[in-house]
Amino acid sequence: MERDERSYRIALTADRYVNPEPDGLDGLGVLAEAGWGVIQLPAEDYPAAVADRILAEVAEQVQEFHRHGYDLVLVGENDKLAGALAAVGVAVPDQVVPASAAGLRAFLDARPLPAALGPRGHAVGPASAAGHPAARDARE
Amino acid sequence: MGVAFVAHCLLNQNSKVGEGAHCAGVYSPVIDVLRAKGWRIEQMPCPELAFSGLNRFWGVREQYDTVAYRRHCRRLAVAVADVVSLRAEQGEDIVLVGIEGSPSMGVRITSSDPERGGRPRWPEGTDEHTGGEGIFIEELRGELERRGIGFPRVVGETHALAGHDEMAQQAALEDTLDG
Repeated sequence: MERDERSYRIALTADRYVNPEPDGLDGLGVLAEAGWGVIQLPAEDYPAAVADRILAEVAEQVQEFHRHGYDLVLVGENDKLAGALAAVGVAVPDQVVPASAAGLRAFLDARPLPAALGPRGHAVGPASAAGHPAARDARE
Repeated sequence: MGVAFVAHCLLNQNSKVGEGAHCAGVYSPVIDVLRAKGWRIEQMPCPELAFSGLNRFWGVREQYDTVAYRRHCRRLAVAVADVVSLRAEQGEDIVLVGIEGSPSMGVRITSSDPERGGRPRWPEGTDEHTGGEGIFIEELRGELERRGIGFPRVVGETHALAGHDEMAQQAALEDTLDG
């Protein structure tokens, strides 16, 4: 398997940071710039049954990333996420409720290398993060 | 503006099949256009990720077109249709951004090869791309029709196709958004 450009880093992200109000924090912009993938959590105006269905799907996807050693974080809050993740045997990942773009970026930059990259930054799995700054740093 | 329902991988390239990620995380050539034009983003699930996992092989429609996979896609389509319904009731303009060449998320171009199977050994660049929708998109269309909701305008991201032209892609996206 050849390397591709994935980062092995995924942020479960509350909708308010993906679709911010005009005066809100642009979390998606920060995550994109930092090279993180995003799994969007249900918006606050979704009916409960719709949100529950979507969270169940999110949890299935998270479980797959978790078992392959991708780094997962929670950006923002969601009251029902813990239950959905528990149903697939995954704990709520480390969380940040950012007050500023700088705070979010600092949290992301402080994350350890994803387990999928192995102790020296090389991918342990189907593909490696050739373009990921953390992987490059670990090899240098 | 309105609401853009986007393929999962446009926000998360980590979901791609191995060797298929085009960038680290967020696919900015599409997402930046949507945000610059003021479109709300709603991420659809990746049907292949949850069904076949991260170690799946590159596949074509014929490999995925099973009763079980269609049942899985219908389940996901119900959840997406719920949100489409919600936004439609709110009077929002809606577009759908798929992935051309995908056996699941293609909106005008999917992948087909009736002979593909067994030990993987096909060369890169084989001509599996063909006109048509992916399986999830077909199931979403069916679910929206059952609810009496018109199928939204669609555009497909083309970065997986030979001859991908980013400028042409952006123009097609903007044309679709502008209606």
